[in-house]
Amino acid sequence: MRTLSRIALVLACLLAGIVALGPILWAASTSFKSANRIFAVPPELLPRSPTLAHYANLIAEGVHWAFLNSFAYAAVAVLAALLFGATAGYALMRYPVAGRPAVLLVFLATMAVPGFAVLLPTQMLAAGIGLQNTWAILPILYAGHILPFTVWVTRSHFATVPRELEQAAEIDGYSRAEAVWRIVLPGAKPALLAAATFGFLHCWNDYVTGSTMVDAPELRTLQVALIFFQGFHGRDWGSLMAGVIIATIPPVVVFLLFRKFLIGGFADGSVKG
Amino acid sequence: MTEARPNTAQSVRFRNVGKSYGSGWAVSGINISIAPGQFVTLLGPSGCGKSTTLNMIAGLETPTEGQIMIGERDVTAMKPADRDIAMVFQSYALYPHMTLYENIAFPLRARRRRTPEAEVDRKVRAAVKMLGLEALLDRFPRQISGGQRQRVALGRAMVRTPTVYLLDEPLSNLDQQLRVQMRSELKDIHQRLGATMLYVTHDQSEAMTLSDLVVVMSNGRIEQAGSPRELYDNPANLFVARFLGEPGMNILDGEAADGRLRGPGFDIALPALARTAGRRISVGIRPEDLHHDPSAAAAISGTVRTVEYLGSRSLVRVDLGDRLIAAFLPPSVDLPAGAPIGLSPADPDKARFFETDGGASLHAHRNLAG
Repeated sequence: MRTLSRIALVLACLLAGIVALGPILWAASTSFKSANRIFAVPPELLPRSPTLAHYANLIAEGVHWAFLNSFAYAAVAVLAALLFGATAGYALMRYPVAGRPAVLLVFLATMAVPGFAVLLPTQMLAAGIGLQNTWAILPILYAGHILPFTVWVTRSHFATVPRELEQAAEIDGYSRAEAVWRIVLPGAKPALLAAATFGFLHCWNDYVTGSTMVDAPELRTLQVALIFFQGFHGRDWGSLMAGVIIATIPPVVVFLLFRKFLIGGFADGSVKG
Repeated sequence: MTEARPNTAQSVRFRNVGKSYGSGWAVSGINISIAPGQFVTLLGPSGCGKSTTLNMIAGLETPTEGQIMIGERDVTAMKPADRDIAMVFQSYALYPHMTLYENIAFPLRARRRRTPEAEVDRKVRAAVKMLGLEALLDRFPRQISGGQRQRVALGRAMVRTPTVYLLDEPLSNLDQQLRVQMRSELKDIHQRLGATMLYVTHDQSEAMTLSDLVVVMSNGRIEQAGSPRELYDNPANLFVARFLGEPGMNILDGEAADGRLRGPGFDIALPALARTAGRRISVGIRPEDLHHDPSAAAAISGTVRTVEYLGSRSLVRVDLGDRLIAAFLPPSVDLPAGAPIGLSPADPDKARFFETDGGASLHAHRNLAG
């Protein structure tokens, strides 16, 4: 009986794995096939004569710049969100901010508003203040998107740091700021990394905001740039799949690096390390 | 101690210090004068303001009124970091992401101290040697026992030479056996360092055994400050009389007339000093100052309620009709519950007399507060 249920479990996992990984593996396989083999019948699971032509094409089309754009936008947004979010989270935890519950509720409420609902107003606002189609608009909006989440995660983590730890550091000869920097923040590393990872994935995966706010080819995000392989001269499946594979790499790397904190970051509140 | 330490111990003075949180005074009218090198305990029930008082010395709370001096410096509005004090918290407040070594070295590495690393190392090792923590330096706080954490917290305080040590119920999280052991270690450390130490506790045995000066507080005020012996033998008021001692002083409220104090179950001669004080007087007698008096002239007579046999003596609870009193009697006095019993003060001079209203002692006493 035990063996039977074990076998069933393995089969179920295998099926889930195929469903989840199949398209990605197929995309990876396709990205290395020459254009005339992509629709070969019977389909080639592994390309018989692998080629890097599609990847070369991506570079020729300047997609690597879009990759760097996406990365830069996400990095700046995450850093800004961490800086402001952790500061706000700390302040909302430690200082008697007037109307603190209301402030927290507003942060929470912003997370509940669907992005589409504010897309058009945001775009008009951005256009109105001359930020549309500039380098600055996407980092600002992305930071805004992930800021409430960062505030909540950091605040709930700071809530678990006993006030006495900071007081001890102050008595030990450190300023309040030093105490936060040397005692509170190192302890908050899992929470900060969890917030950063989620933030990064949000920014990296964004398509709608990126396609609405910037138009110029040199400002495009990777997700937007890849769409252009979908049209005009018919779909360039090989290059599109190569782009998909490239787009997948950073989230996978980030996840593998920080999964420990992603999983621990939220349980972290309950057990002090 | 392996190295000679400069004695940096300083005096601490409270001048009419009060702290209000808006809705009322947490503490008020605090006047204490602590000499350099003294071990002083703030003792009182929870919520009496002792921790608030300690936190004001630390700079974690700012007094609403009054002045706090450490040595010749007015520290009333000074930041904690500038006061040059060390504090041991009830929770120990060890930094969880640092090893024991880093925890103890932390105060020395503060930018304001600029201690060279070689000296940091020397001082940390001297402190851990004194506390017997040598083998644990690379561990993290979560990997050691409660008693060891307590030592690390002490080590972090001892590693530098502060003007004053503040200890906020540092032993209360330890089990009984360890607490007694750490208590004598603490006394030893105090003697070796010659440091000014302020200790907060609600445990009177800690206060009595450790202190040069005990400050008894209740409801945000100082009830009495003095040596443990002074407080025990000559309490300034009924609160201190009842609070100190296990069990506390027996208090009998009576009517004074014709040079005697009479009430339900007792009839005691009043000393001269109590004869002019009015009619409502309370007498206080320690349980160990009562002896079994089978004669008809016994000052106190009641019935035995319970007898707790303690080996060297028995704790006998005697019912006087309107109250229970306690007496430590030799185990040879073996009376069943319900038996009539007579008690008299072993030494009438040890009985203390108080005004029943207000509770002030009628005896001259030296109160170091105020």
